[in-house]
Amino acid sequence: MKIKNIWAWIILMIGLIYFFLPLLATFEFSLKMIKDRYTFEAYRVAFTDPQFYQNFGYSFFWALLTIVFSLLLVVPTAYWVHWRMRKMRPWVEFVTLMPFVVPAVVLVFGMSRLYGGGLKVFGTPILVLTGTPILLIAGYVVLSLPYMFRAVDTGLRAIDVRTLTESALSLGAGWRVIITQVIFPNLRTAILSGVFLTFAIVMGEFTFASLLYWPAFGPYMEEIGAMRAYTPQALAVVSFLLTWGSIGLMQWIGRGSVQEVAAVH
Amino acid sequence: MTFLQINNVSKSFGRVWAVRDFNLNIESGELVSFLGPSGCGKTTTLRMVAGFETPTSGVITINGDDITNKPPNQRNVGMVFQSYALFPNMTVAGNVGFGLKVAKKPPEEIKKRVDEMLELIHMSEYGDRYPHQLSGGQQQRVALARALALRPKVLLLDEPLSALDAKIRVSLRSEIRSIQQKLGITAIYVTHDQEEALSMSDRVVVMNMGEMEQVGTPFEIYNFPTTVFTANFVGTLNTADGEVVDPAKGVLAVDGVQFESASDMQNKKKGDKVRIAIRPERFNFVAQEKKANIVDCTIENINFLGSIVRIEVKVGKTNFIVDTFNNPFLDLPNIGDKDQITCSRKAVLVLED
Repeated sequence: MKIKNIWAWIILMIGLIYFFLPLLATFEFSLKMIKDRYTFEAYRVAFTDPQFYQNFGYSFFWALLTIVFSLLLVVPTAYWVHWRMRKMRPWVEFVTLMPFVVPAVVLVFGMSRLYGGGLKVFGTPILVLTGTPILLIAGYVVLSLPYMFRAVDTGLRAIDVRTLTESALSLGAGWRVIITQVIFPNLRTAILSGVFLTFAIVMGEFTFASLLYWPAFGPYMEEIGAMRAYTPQALAVVSFLLTWGSIGLMQWIGRGSVQEVAAVH
Repeated sequence: MTFLQINNVSKSFGRVWAVRDFNLNIESGELVSFLGPSGCGKTTTLRMVAGFETPTSGVITINGDDITNKPPNQRNVGMVFQSYALFPNMTVAGNVGFGLKVAKKPPEEIKKRVDEMLELIHMSEYGDRYPHQLSGGQQQRVALARALALRPKVLLLDEPLSALDAKIRVSLRSEIRSIQQKLGITAIYVTHDQEEALSMSDRVVVMNMGEMEQVGTPFEIYNFPTTVFTANFVGTLNTADGEVVDPAKGVLAVDGVQFESASDMQNKKKGDKVRIAIRPERFNFVAQEKKANIVDCTIENINFLGSIVRIEVKVGKTNFIVDTFNNPFLDLPNIGDKDQITCSRKAVLVLED
């Protein structure tokens, strides 16, 4: 038993070192902008660059739009699958896993080819979406689909969707009331998990924004990386903190619901 | 006067018929139970009345109003579910007042009605609690109050006590019955528990494989089952294959042992094969009481079940169960003893297929 414990600790330590050591090195490097001194100069430079705020702002905006459209797509779909089409669930789950199978670069080329004039009716291109952020947001929605769907699906599995819907119907409620007053409030934690995961993904995304020529935080970091040495490391650390912050928030919000569920049982 | 009519209602899911030619008239203020095993179509029938399933054919009317194709949220039919189905994000008062809020009733009226309903279920002080802070029995009472708050035309209860423990089930079923009678509401109660159905209902509909087997008062269903299924499903029953000896006098033979029956055998003739049924409690040992049918038996087994003692006896080649009330001074026979049992002519039922 004790030997097992020791091995568990050793494996954990190796994992932690593997994960944190490069991060610590990056952080340490980001502090060495001024020779022979540890300073936050790289961070000061990063935060005083107007481009930083502009690109960060763009990514933030794209993330918000992605979250809105993801929720509009995923919540009703997942709800309907649970309420009326349970047999379809494995298929829907399969579709949501596609972003793990199809690389982002393939997806973005396919999309820009199809919606950049490739779709024609009688020789006339239709649905030309390049030049609008629609493709970017659509791509982000697809990219975040596995996370958003899974989060919402888990939330829906934790409540008895069918019976709750039927009891609300028998009490005279219409669909708007059922979705907004019964289903949504009971999915709040699950939805917030999906929202934070989507936010974290979009904030650091590079491929879509870069290949579709839209300003975003990912391409900005890449651009700075090509020109400067220390600032990109500072930005990488900021990006990590942002992701961790999102995950931390998710955990913190999720904690309440776990306690509630525990109290029920 | 008939309040709820279910006329020739059938429901199929693909090639499977869940309910076939269901006909039932329910009077105003009546509580009717649908009793049957899993998959017999009782819940499907209830769900068609609620509007969650659309009948493949047939008509459902409430007070003369055809509701067959009405959406469930326009039927004013209250429903109580097995899993309570309380909204976890709302307090007890919020749950009870939900339907009234949806119906856009004034806040004062909502509050008044919620208070009335909570008083009805003896939970006035629980209004601010959330469902997860209540026991199963309390949650189901809140679900009942919620369904009743809108003063529905019909109350539907889908196995509401199945998830509760035995003691609470017994107390809650009398509470549900007394509330239903107090409010005079028409109700349909779905259950697979015969004790529940027999103790609560004005009438019981026994269902099997999507069809009605028998409709009657609990007394009729228990004492005079007309089909083999009803006889077997409701209560414990001795059944045996017999042969008609004298139809005019109601004489039958089981393995050569003769029984007299009070059942109508006008349509039978000598030599016809029949199936007979006798409730275990209708038998007595001859020493205790002498009746029409006196047959020799051998004691095969004795089971002590608390309030009753169940004795298995062999009559000819057929085994019968005899139930006698437990009594500390009862002189029980021993296994292998030769004895005689008896029952009245009325106790010997001739069943239809």
